[in-house]
Amino acid sequence: MGTFLGWSIKRPSSLTKLILLTCVSVVLIVLNAHHEHETHTFRSLMNRATYPVQTLATLPFSATKHLDQDLRTNADLRRANHRLRLRDLKLEAHLTRFDALRREVVHLTKLLHGTRLPGYRETLARVLAVSSGPFTQRLILNEGRRSHIYVGQAVIDAHGIVGQIVAVGPDTSDVMLITDPNSGIPVVSQRNGLRAIVFGTGSTDGLKVPYLTVTADIRPGDILVSSGLGGVYPPGYPVARVTAVTSNPNLAFLKVRAVALARLNYHTHVLLLWPKKSQPKRGRVGG
Amino acid sequence: MDSSFTLSQRATIVATFAIGILLTLAPLPRAIGVLRPDWVALILVYWCLAIPDRIGVGSAWILGLVLDGLYGSLLGEQALAKALLAFLTLRFTLRLRVFPRWQQSLAVGILIALSDLLILMVKSLVQGTAPIWSDTAPMIANVILWPFLFTILREVRRRAKIS
Repeated sequence: MGTFLGWSIKRPSSLTKLILLTCVSVVLIVLNAHHEHETHTFRSLMNRATYPVQTLATLPFSATKHLDQDLRTNADLRRANHRLRLRDLKLEAHLTRFDALRREVVHLTKLLHGTRLPGYRETLARVLAVSSGPFTQRLILNEGRRSHIYVGQAVIDAHGIVGQIVAVGPDTSDVMLITDPNSGIPVVSQRNGLRAIVFGTGSTDGLKVPYLTVTADIRPGDILVSSGLGGVYPPGYPVARVTAVTSNPNLAFLKVRAVALARLNYHTHVLLLWPKKSQPKRGRVGG
Repeated sequence: MDSSFTLSQRATIVATFAIGILLTLAPLPRAIGVLRPDWVALILVYWCLAIPDRIGVGSAWILGLVLDGLYGSLLGEQALAKALLAFLTLRFTLRLRVFPRWQQSLAVGILIALSDLLILMVKSLVQGTAPIWSDTAPMIANVILWPFLFTILREVRRRAKIS
């Protein structure tokens, strides 16, 4: 027995509590799921409060990572050295070609439009935490609103598109990976320009490409690059490689599986993109 | 009935949960990561069994809400599951206490699996994605871990003289 505002009452039983709290939980879930904008400030507040805990949890692992780096055998180092030398040679060769090609492209576009290629400004961000489960594939980055990160910004790495920013706190931001079930990217096939949309499946690396009719020309090994439709992702950047195409005559669509080209499991740093503000002026019509 | 705890006793209980949360958040390679047990749920069940007058549905709900903030899941999802877990544990406290250890760990595993099932249902309702088989891996890990965790937490409880 206890008292509440002068009334003598019984302590609520755990069943009563469960029922009450279930109602509250359901209200919270529905609010959170359907009115994301209203609960957004509360969420970002919570993000900020939990940031130290997340940092603390990853601390011992970032320490052991260095330990792992320090303890290498001589043979390992020799092999790595040899491999890197070869790679360096190859890259050097590519680079000379690339430089020449880039100069040529710049030259040609100058001739065509009198402008440079529209570019992107980019910044490195460190990955603080990873939450990956069957329902969310997220990264938390160490840059936030103070570094002018915005919701809907594209995130890439050296190999392909990683995802986009979905929530921004003052000092952190959340990236929805392209493997998140809620993610969809408009792409084109590099081989023949076939348009498609790549969806996440919730498993790491696994992607699916639904809504392709059985007559669509797509094969395992095809590289899908972003088409830039929708305006979130930069056009022409690699997204996924098709791994399996199965056709079931009973279904209208092909079942197409793909893997992400970005190395989603290996990130410590990712690149954030800002489209460059200074869009070239169009030539004045009729001068 | 309300034997009030000293500050250090309260701190001990909170610290066990904090360690559980840190163990849950610590990054692991994917192969081991799927087998990561639900530390917080196991610790919650232990305290519900040990001091059912103090740790109950209400505290479990608040703990769940904190977890929601940490995991980035839907707000209220973990809270709901943890409240249910606490309720079920309280309901079977007397029986669970007298079970032999292996049977106890099986029963605890089933209770946690039930609350996990609730989470999966909420997720598939709200986000429309089907559960996958790897979701069952932590449930098995829970059963394996329970006897060890029980022994450790009982030692902690005795040292702190919580009863």
